[in-house]
Amino acid sequence: MNSMVRKEERKANKHVASYLVIGGIVIGLMMIFGILMLLQQGGVFDVGPALFYQFLTIHGTGMVGAAALAAAAIMYYFLRQYVDLTPEIFVTNLWLFLVGVVMVIIGVFSFEYASAWTFLYPLPALSAGAWGTLGAILYLGGMLVLGTGFVLFYIDAGRAIIKKYGSLGKGLGWDILSGKRPVDKAPPKAVIASTMVIIVNTTALIAGTVVIIMNMIHVVNPAFTFDPLLAKNLTYAFGHIFANAIIYMGVIAVYEILPRYAKRKWGVSKAFLVAWNMSTFFTLLIYTHHLLMDPSMPKWALIMAQILSYSNGLPVLVITAYGALMLVYKSGIKWDLASGLAFLSMLGWTLGVVPAIVDATIVVNHVMHNTKWVPGHFHMYMGLGAVVMLFAFMYFLAKEDSGIKENWLDKFGLTCYTISFLGISGSFLVSGAISTPRRWATHIPDWMGPAVFGGVSGVLALLASTIFIFHFTRYMALRNKMGSESYEKKLA
Amino acid sequence: MGKTRYGIVLFVLLLLPPIRLGMESIMIVHMLIQLPLLILAGWLTGDVVVRKFYDVWDRWNGNGIPGIILVFFITLFWMFPRTLDEALTYNSMEFLKFISLPFVGLLLRGSWEKLHTLGKTFIYLNYLSMFGLFAWLYIDSPIQICNNYLETQQKVLGWGMLFITVLMILSIIHYVFTDHSKENVT
Repeated sequence: MNSMVRKEERKANKHVASYLVIGGIVIGLMMIFGILMLLQQGGVFDVGPALFYQFLTIHGTGMVGAAALAAAAIMYYFLRQYVDLTPEIFVTNLWLFLVGVVMVIIGVFSFEYASAWTFLYPLPALSAGAWGTLGAILYLGGMLVLGTGFVLFYIDAGRAIIKKYGSLGKGLGWDILSGKRPVDKAPPKAVIASTMVIIVNTTALIAGTVVIIMNMIHVVNPAFTFDPLLAKNLTYAFGHIFANAIIYMGVIAVYEILPRYAKRKWGVSKAFLVAWNMSTFFTLLIYTHHLLMDPSMPKWALIMAQILSYSNGLPVLVITAYGALMLVYKSGIKWDLASGLAFLSMLGWTLGVVPAIVDATIVVNHVMHNTKWVPGHFHMYMGLGAVVMLFAFMYFLAKEDSGIKENWLDKFGLTCYTISFLGISGSFLVSGAISTPRRWATHIPDWMGPAVFGGVSGVLALLASTIFIFHFTRYMALRNKMGSESYEKKLA
Repeated sequence: MGKTRYGIVLFVLLLLPPIRLGMESIMIVHMLIQLPLLILAGWLTGDVVVRKFYDVWDRWNGNGIPGIILVFFITLFWMFPRTLDEALTYNSMEFLKFISLPFVGLLLRGSWEKLHTLGKTFIYLNYLSMFGLFAWLYIDSPIQICNNYLETQQKVLGWGMLFITVLMILSIIHYVFTDHSKENVT
């Protein structure tokens, strides 16, 4: 391998590492806001409702944004091994992310914008004096800038897949499914998952752009009103899909890491392709399960939401989790933090889907959707599923790129993280089961116990995450010092 | 040279008072037929202009990005209800319209082909969301937003824009799902 290629590899890994460390640090910071909110709800201290809702806004936006950023790094790292991606676009996305984040932070903390990430029309303009025009414009504008970066990233990835495979349909294995090509000619898993994410997230970001700009017009001129139901549909078409796609980018790490550790091939089957195609199509439609309580929605859309919610995540999850189990079974796999976290993420994903499917059932949704049951689902799904995939990849990259050793602290981090996140999501689910409303700054005494338990668990989760991020920053420091010598040796 | 001639003829036809006033009397024809035809006139004549001033053009618009950014902002400007309204109220705005939109066509001629797939797709998706946004804005507006056009006319325009949005969605779906293995995707 010539020095030019080596230099490019090193540069690409540097960008990937920058994504991961920024994503990891933001996730850690957002955990602090999560802990503060739970302790406020638990009556441990009182930051006041205004600040609580600012925390709620930054926590939701920051967590999804940072996790999406780090997951994009996973997608980039593995996808570029199969197709020709543009590094400049990858860097541009990072810069636009940072600009967007600064705008959002100023909007929330300097101008007290606090509509939660949902910015549900007409809330950005109806603050009852809690925030003004500028705060809303900065927040919404920041989201637009963030979205622009991701759109560029997905367009570039789509272009590269079309260039190599001919079309996005072929990226999803349509020619295999139609019998035109044998299954052993199927694209790699990273390409299939990336194609799915490109399709759903580009759609989501376009929907988001439209509704964000409409909200901005309404904020500047509140006399200009528009259809709130369409606005809610577009808002969730954006937010749900974008958040959902994080796990579909993150799972690429599982597909790539586990076979290397198990020293077994994890091939693509027709069932795998069918599952990913189902998820591509259904992910675009199931956001309507956020509107099950809206009586003005057409009945067919709500029935469709329930049925497709069942059909969406399950095929990919079952095929991935079952595949991972079969891959690991009697393989003599070497367990370390990367493989352990990758395997743990399968558990988190599987467990986290269950409360979601329960909530997507219309009769249950009418009772549970406005309770803390829902954060119970997504903290398990994201915290024990998607974010664990990100941490798994961090350990994998650190080992691949520098040969840095793990120690007892990292192992303690894994145990601590697992237990604490079961504690956080469990406390939310218990809160939901006792009908604790979500997004409330204050709780009655009967609701406080689980909130405090969740807050304390959050502290432990933060500690574990800090250990993971610290390990990664150690790798970055070592890499800068040694010029990634061990990686160069591997490449040579 | 043939294209240039067609471009000049089209521009002159669009300037003729009966045609101009007839087109501007109906909002959807004004925005979705007259304005694109002005751009088309500029695009048809653009080839000669670009070739004649190639050095200057190449220096300022080497990769097509400056040109396409100008295209974006000028067309965005003419999608606003207020500018459309003012073109009917003030002669200066009408004059600006007849100058700026053929200029957009000229810029398009000299910029579009220079863009890579990434740039073209980004611009395309930008217009897709813009047409969707303006469709919603014109259909859903609770008030009359132009002095010169009735509320029903703005709704018709909104539906026209929605139709274009749907066509653009179908077109991109067609592009990404049909085979391009034999093409040179840059």
